[in-house]
Amino acid sequence: MLKLLKEVFRQGDATVKYPFAPYEVEKDFRGRPEHVAENCIACAACTSACPANALSMETDLAAGTRTWSISYGRCIFCARCEEVCPTQAIRLTTDFELAVANKADLTSQAVFKLADCVCCGEPFAPAKEIAYVTALIEANSGTNGASTGAEKSSEAERRRRLLSTCPACKRANDLQQIAQIAHRQEKNR
Amino acid sequence: MNVHIDARVGASHISYLRAKLPHAVLEENWQTPNQVTVTVKLNTLPEAVATLYYGREGWLSVVVCNDERPINDTFGLYYVLSMEGEDRCHVIVHAAVPSSNEEFPSVTPKVPACVWGEREIRDMYGLRPIGLPDERRLVLPDDWPDDLYPLRKDAMDYRLRPPPTSDKENYQFRNDAEGETTVVPLGPLHITSDEPGHFRLFVDGEDIIDADYRMFYVHRGMEKLAETRMGYNEVTFLADRVCGICGYAHSVAYASSIENALGIVVPQRAHAIRSIMLETERLHSHMLNLGLVCQFTGFDSGFMQFFRAREKAMTLAELLTGGRKTYGINLIGGVRRDVLAEQRSRTLALVAELRAEVQRLFEILLATPNFGPRVKGVGILDRKIARDYSPVGPVVRGSGYRRDTRVDHAFAGYGSVDVDINTGDGCDVQSRTMIRAAEIFDSLSLIEQLLDSTPTGPILNEDFVYKPYKFALGFTEAPRGEDIHWSMTGDNQKLYRWRCRASTYANWPVLRYMLRGNTVSDAPLIVGSIDPCYSCCDRMTVVDVRKETSRTIPYKEMERYCRERTDSPLK
Amino acid sequence: MKMDTPADIQRMKTSLLTNIRRSAYVYRVDCGGCNGCEIEIFSTITPVFDTERFGIKVVASPRHADILLFTGAVTRAMRMPALRAYEAAPDPKIVVSYGACGCTGGIFHDLYCVWGGTDQIVPVDVYIPGCPPTPPATIYGFAVALGLLEQKLTAKTHIEGEGERVGMAYPELPYNLRVHVEREARRMAGYRQGRDIADRFLGMLTIPGELPLNQRIAALISKEPDPRIAEIFLRLGDTLRGGELSA
Repeated sequence: MLKLLKEVFRQGDATVKYPFAPYEVEKDFRGRPEHVAENCIACAACTSACPANALSMETDLAAGTRTWSISYGRCIFCARCEEVCPTQAIRLTTDFELAVANKADLTSQAVFKLADCVCCGEPFAPAKEIAYVTALIEANSGTNGASTGAEKSSEAERRRRLLSTCPACKRANDLQQIAQIAHRQEKNR
Repeated sequence: MNVHIDARVGASHISYLRAKLPHAVLEENWQTPNQVTVTVKLNTLPEAVATLYYGREGWLSVVVCNDERPINDTFGLYYVLSMEGEDRCHVIVHAAVPSSNEEFPSVTPKVPACVWGEREIRDMYGLRPIGLPDERRLVLPDDWPDDLYPLRKDAMDYRLRPPPTSDKENYQFRNDAEGETTVVPLGPLHITSDEPGHFRLFVDGEDIIDADYRMFYVHRGMEKLAETRMGYNEVTFLADRVCGICGYAHSVAYASSIENALGIVVPQRAHAIRSIMLETERLHSHMLNLGLVCQFTGFDSGFMQFFRAREKAMTLAELLTGGRKTYGINLIGGVRRDVLAEQRSRTLALVAELRAEVQRLFEILLATPNFGPRVKGVGILDRKIARDYSPVGPVVRGSGYRRDTRVDHAFAGYGSVDVDINTGDGCDVQSRTMIRAAEIFDSLSLIEQLLDSTPTGPILNEDFVYKPYKFALGFTEAPRGEDIHWSMTGDNQKLYRWRCRASTYANWPVLRYMLRGNTVSDAPLIVGSIDPCYSCCDRMTVVDVRKETSRTIPYKEMERYCRERTDSPLK
Repeated sequence: MKMDTPADIQRMKTSLLTNIRRSAYVYRVDCGGCNGCEIEIFSTITPVFDTERFGIKVVASPRHADILLFTGAVTRAMRMPALRAYEAAPDPKIVVSYGACGCTGGIFHDLYCVWGGTDQIVPVDVYIPGCPPTPPATIYGFAVALGLLEQKLTAKTHIEGEGERVGMAYPELPYNLRVHVEREARRMAGYRQGRDIADRFLGMLTIPGELPLNQRIAALISKEPDPRIAEIFLRLGDTLRGGELSA
C-alpha cells in the first residue's frame, strides 16, 4: 500500500490539459488529409489506392466535369493517397479535431473540368491532367530527331494533338492510318 | 517458387508420413524452404493430420478451405501444422474435395483442435464434415439464410445483404455436465469493452460445471472483401483492422504470406522495423492485460496505474508510425516508415522510462495481499487439453509448453536477436500473468537490441512480379500468440483466397475446460486471462436447473462479485 | 428498419444540451468493430486523458446513459442487440457515432455482413471520425456532442478556376533525375520521411553555383548529424553517379 502511495505521489498530476490547452501530437502524426485542389490533376491515383474507398472520383459527361471527393468519416488515415500522389496535392496533417454534428460536413469535394477531344468534341479527361502531361512530355523530350525549329514545333503540335484525343478516336485514327499504309504498300507493289 | 533441395527443412516429416501411411501421399510441393504442402488422398486426411500432429510434435495452426472449382474443379482443404519438435517447419496437409461430392471426413474426432476450423468450413463453403461432433454454426449470424455460402466463388456478390429474417437468437448452447445445473449467460454486450460474445455458464450453486459460448458477433466478412474489392497491397491495411489491439501482427503475417508466396526478399532493415513495431504492440497489449488483471482482482488503483504507464507505449507507436493504434506501415516488400536518429533516441528514452515504471508497478501488484490467492490455482488449463487443442501464446506457455513463433519459426527481424521463451508450470491465471509481465521486459530489451543493430539499406523492395495462383503461409507471434495467414494470389492483382486466423481463435476452444470446476466469481478473471482482446461479457443470466429458475445478473454485479467476493448474486 | 426521433423528444434533447448541469453518462455499444475504438475509449477514461474530470463517465447499463456511443460498422448479428440498447436508454439521449466504422462503415462499408454505420439503424447526433479516434479526438467529440465546443470541419467544394494548372516540381532539374531521387528516397525511408529527405537533396541540387556535384553532396553529408539521413544522402548521390539514369 505504501509503495502504491509513493508511486502516486511520484507521478503527480498525469493528466493532459487538453481541451483547455492545445494537445501536441507527434510531428508525423496521421491526421486529416489536406487536399490542395490547385495542385491536383484529377488523375485518380489516390482513389484507386484508397483501401477504404474514402476517396472517390465521379465523372459527369453531360456537365463535362469530374468530381473528386473525400469522406473524412470513412477515411482510415493510412496515407496511401499521400504516398501515390504524383503532384503532392494531398498530405496528411496533424489535425485530429474532426467531430461534426452534421454528416455532410465530413465530405470535401473538388470539381474539375474535362477537356473535349479534338477529334470528336466529347469530354474525355481532366483538362489539368492533359496540360500537366503535355508540359511534362515537352520538358522531357528535348529535341530528339528534329533539327530545325519548324520541325520541332510541328512535332510538338502533333504530340499535343495526340494527347488531346480521346482513346476511341485514337483507335479510329490508328486504324485509318494502318489502312492508308497498307493501301500505299499495296500500290507500291 | 523453386526451392533448392538442400535448403529444405522438414523432409523427415514427409518420410515419416509416407512410412506410416503408405499410398496416402499423392504429392509434395515446397512454397519456401520451410513450408511444404503435402497432398493426401481425401479418405486418409484424418489419419494423415493425426499422424503428424501426435507423431511428429505437430500443432494445428489453422484449417483453410479454398474454392478451387474455377481452377481445378475441387475444393481444397489445407490443415496447417506447425512442426515444433525436430526439423521445425510448417507442413500443410492438403486434400481435394471433388465438386461433385461436397463432403469430407472430419478430422476433429482424431484431432480436437480442428473443431472450429471445420465448423467454419461448413458455414462458409457448405462442405459437410462427416463425423464432426459439433454441427452448429460458428461464424455466420443465426438468421443468415441456409444454403448461402459466402466464400464460394459463385455464391454471391460481396455486397449482398440478405434481409433480416429473425430477431431471435436460436443458437443451441451445449452443456456436458451430468445432473442438474444452473445456466449463466453473459453478453453479447458488455461494459469492460471488447468484442461481443455470448457466454453461457452452467453452474451448480457457485461452481461452474460447464461453459459454452457463441462468438463471431462481429463477423464482417473481411476475407471476402480481401478477395473482391481490394488490391493485394491494400489488404495490409485491412489486416491492420482484424484486431484493434494486435492488428499490426496481422498486417505483418499477411504481408509475409504474400512475400513468401511470390519469393520477395524483404530488406533486413524492414524486417528489423517490423519486429520493433511488433514488440511495441506487445508492450501496450500486455500492459492492458495486467491492468485488467488488477481490476478483476479488485485492485482498481493498479488498473489506473498500468493504463497511465501504458500511454508511454502508445506515444512510442505514434512516434514511430504516426498512429497510436493502427500502424499502417506495411506494404508488400517492406515498410513505409524509417527509424531516423530522432525517433531512435526518443524510443530508447521511452523504453528506459517504461522499464522503470513497469518494474515499480509490478512490484506493487505482487505485494498486494489478495493478488496471489486470487490468481493461483484458478482457471487451470490441463496440459493434455492444451496438447489436444493447440492453444497459443501465454495461454499455452502458462501450461509449460515452449511454443513461441518468434523462436520456433523465426520471422521478420527475430533471427538476429535473442528471444527468451517464458513458460510457467502452474497452468493457472497466475502463470499466464507472470509470463505476460516477463514478456514486457523482454519486449523492452528486444526493442533496444533491434535499435542497436538496425541493418542499413532500404526499407522497401518493389522489384518483384505479381504471379497468379501462388500461395504460402505468413505468421507472427502476436501478444496473444501465433497469428497465421494463408494467402493465394489471383490473376487480377488481387487475392484469390485470404485466410486469417487470429490467436484468440485458437484459444477460445480451451476456455470451456479452464472454466470448469471454478467458482462463478472467478469467471471474468479466467476469461480475462486468455486476454481475449479483453474480457467480454456484460451480463450473466443464471439458470438454476435444480431450482428451475432463471435470472439475468448484470455484468457489473458479476464484476463486483469478482472483485469483492461477498454477497453472491446467485443467492 | 431505422429508428426516428419524434419531435417532442427532439425538444427534450435540445433542453438537455442547454441545461445539463451534471455528469454525462456514456454507454458503449459495440456493433462489431475491431476493438481499436474500445481501447481508445479506455485510454480516454484513464488517468492521462481522464474524461471523468468533465463528469463523463462510462456506465454499465444503457438505462443509466445520457450518451450512447456506437462503435463498429453494425454487423448483422449485432444489429438487434444494438437496437435493443438504443431502446433501453431513456430519452432524451445523445447518440454518438464513433470511429470510421461507426460514421460510415469505414473500410467495411459495403460488406455482406455489415449494415454500414450507426446512422443506418438509429439517428445520430455527433460523428467522431478516426480509425480509431485518438483520446484527444474523443474528448473533442464529447465536447461537440455536449455543445461545449464548436465543430471545426465544414463541407467544402472547390470549383476548378479558370486557367488553373499544376506546375512541375523542380522544373530546373531533369524530370528523370527528380523521379529517380524521389523513388530511391521512398525505398530508403518511406513516403513521408523519404519525401522530406528527397526535398532536401533536390533543393541542394537546385542551388545555383559552380560547385561540382560530388562536392555538393559531400558538403550536405558532412553537415548532417543523423547518420541514417547521411547514409540516405550518400545513396541518393550514388544513384545519380551510378549511371542508372538514362536521361
